Amino acid sequence: MAKAPENLTEAELEERTNAHPMAVPFLFLGRESTIKNFIWFPFAGMVICMALGLIYPPHHKAPWDFFGSWAVIGFAAYSFLVLSAGPLFKLLARDEDYYGEGGLPDPDYSTEGDHHD
Amino acid sequence: MIDILQINPGLWIILAGIICAFMPVGHVRKTLVLLAPLFAGVMIFQIYGAQEVIGGVINYAGIEFTTLRIDRLSMIWGYLFCLAGVLNAIYALHEKCRITDSSALIYTGAAIAGVFAGDLLTLFIFWELTALSSVFLVWKGGERSYAAGLRYLAVHVFSGVLLLAGAIVYGRANGGDFTFGHIGLDSPGGLMLLLAMGIKCGFPLFHNWIQDAYPKASITGTVILSVFTTKLALYAIARGFAGEDILIYIGAVMAVFPVFFAVIENDLRRVLAYSLNNQLGFMVCAIGIGTPLAMNGVAGQVITHVIFKGLLFMTMGAVMFRTGTAKASELGGLFRSMPFTTVFCLIGAGSIAAFPLLAAFVTKSMILSAALEEHLYIPLAMLLFASAGVMEHSGIKVPYFTFFSHDSGRRVKEAPWNMLTAMGLASLLCIVFAFPFGGYQLLYSLLPYEVNYHPYTPDHVIFQLQLLFAAITAFCVLKKYGLYPSEKRAEVIDFDWTYRKLGLGIARWIGAMWTRLSVNMTGVRKTCVDGMGKKLYQIFSPAGAMSAAAPSGLAAVLTAGMLVIALLIMFIT
Repeated sequence: MAKAPENLTEAELEERTNAHPMAVPFLFLGRESTIKNFIWFPFAGMVICMALGLIYPPHHKAPWDFFGSWAVIGFAAYSFLVLSAGPLFKLLARDEDYYGEGGLPDPDYSTEGDHHD
Repeated sequence: MIDILQINPGLWIILAGIICAFMPVGHVRKTLVLLAPLFAGVMIFQIYGAQEVIGGVINYAGIEFTTLRIDRLSMIWGYLFCLAGVLNAIYALHEKCRITDSSALIYTGAAIAGVFAGDLLTLFIFWELTALSSVFLVWKGGERSYAAGLRYLAVHVFSGVLLLAGAIVYGRANGGDFTFGHIGLDSPGGLMLLLAMGIKCGFPLFHNWIQDAYPKASITGTVILSVFTTKLALYAIARGFAGEDILIYIGAVMAVFPVFFAVIENDLRRVLAYSLNNQLGFMVCAIGIGTPLAMNGVAGQVITHVIFKGLLFMTMGAVMFRTGTAKASELGGLFRSMPFTTVFCLIGAGSIAAFPLLAAFVTKSMILSAALEEHLYIPLAMLLFASAGVMEHSGIKVPYFTFFSHDSGRRVKEAPWNMLTAMGLASLLCIVFAFPFGGYQLLYSLLPYEVNYHPYTPDHVIFQLQLLFAAITAFCVLKKYGLYPSEKRAEVIDFDWTYRKLGLGIARWIGAMWTRLSVNMTGVRKTCVDGMGKKLYQIFSPAGAMSAAAPSGLAAVLTAGMLVIALLIMFIT
């Protein structure tokens, strides 16, 4: 949760000053400890849902339905997908100007200069 | 006296678009952009009761054009396009551009007129008009988008030509009846029509125009483009090819393959373009299943999809408007500067991932349940895999790398008020259409068949949450152990490499070879042509061999002989 102003470090104070007023109560989301411990939230949710799956089994069963099957599918499919990214990137990635059209718009490549800070 | 209830409501929007093209006053244009879709929505309400309405019949050159047909199915798409038109208009209020305003209106109107077309020839006219009007939105993306716009136009014009050819073949086989109803795949015309619609819908291997053009369009252009073209094609497939088995597998493949590209793509608008392809896969698969539950799933999913996908494109557009980039490698930590946009993006991300209480939870599960009821286990497994993929690219990657992740240090203003309003309204709809008390029932009231499906059963909520929580846990684990790939700037090649690189290379090679051949053959060619000319002169000229050696009557005999041969050939043929 948000700290009182007197307990803030200089960096935190600067972050708070530069942030949108509505974002100030949520600056804790950017803290290292929050990011590190965030895993427990989905993990707890997954475990609770797996336990509840025993009480409320699916009405229409697929052949692969067993205890926690959807959690296994979600975890395995997601991991497979992300782990395949490395080899796929090596295979398919080229320089941004590969087609000679200058890549997609961004501050370095863009000629439009139409962003509005 | 013209009965305005006989006029296709899309035509009013096209008319407003034409007026906009000549209207120099920005406020008047913006008023038209906002009011025209609202007016069309009111006209649909006035025209359509509960029964199918056929009107605007025109006979021309012996062909009957049915320019207005509103039934339960087209009514859904019509209202949806009007709603999207209003949201897009609000989102684009800050943009003072006559071309954008005009082409957006004509494009919206053409899409609406297309879904209300009662015959294939009328559909063709508006099919092509959507392509011609929308290409300006791509070109508004700047110099770099010019080539992409040309490719976009070429693909869509080809799709239109194929549609016309298919319509003619199909119509001739049906005794000149061009009515746009169920077509099926048992005729060559049907196959051509499906191919034409498949190109516009982004079937596998025909999909690249989406990822090529959409991320290169202007900020508002991408939002507008994301709504109409593919959904018009989806409508046409739903009307013409419901229950065709091949669509189940095309849809399943379409849902799966884009997730692999989305995971390695750095540009988040292109990630969303792949995500759009993946979502269309779910709907194409359901059209193939074709049962009432599946078709309700398609109609429900198209409604929610237009809203949440538009919302996600809007949030990325707002980020790009402020930062100038939509690349994951350049973004991060923007929740500090753009808290409202962050919340809207999270709502969009939760909706597309089908979290309970958010849009796609109700509709996507209808599609999965339809596949399960029909014992289509392989497509179902593919759709489940694709669901985990959706969670990865749109549920986690887009919001995480934009608003959280490492802090990019960018401190920008929140999005302009009009963008926030449009995003807020879309977010509200994402919640309303999945709300358990009166919300999803409102969505049900729009669906084409009677609905007997209860999304908020304990087992359904629990198993869906299992899948989603497990995917987020996997993300956290992979991130913690450094196995999640960092975002890198790159151009990811896809099937369009075959024509953008290989095809272009072959064409250039042939051109170069031809030029080289021409240069090298100049001497030979000159000698041959000159020699042949000289010989012909020596034989046939007044001073030539023929005139000199033969009696003058021989020429007349030869000419008469040639004439006899020509007459004989004409007589025989």
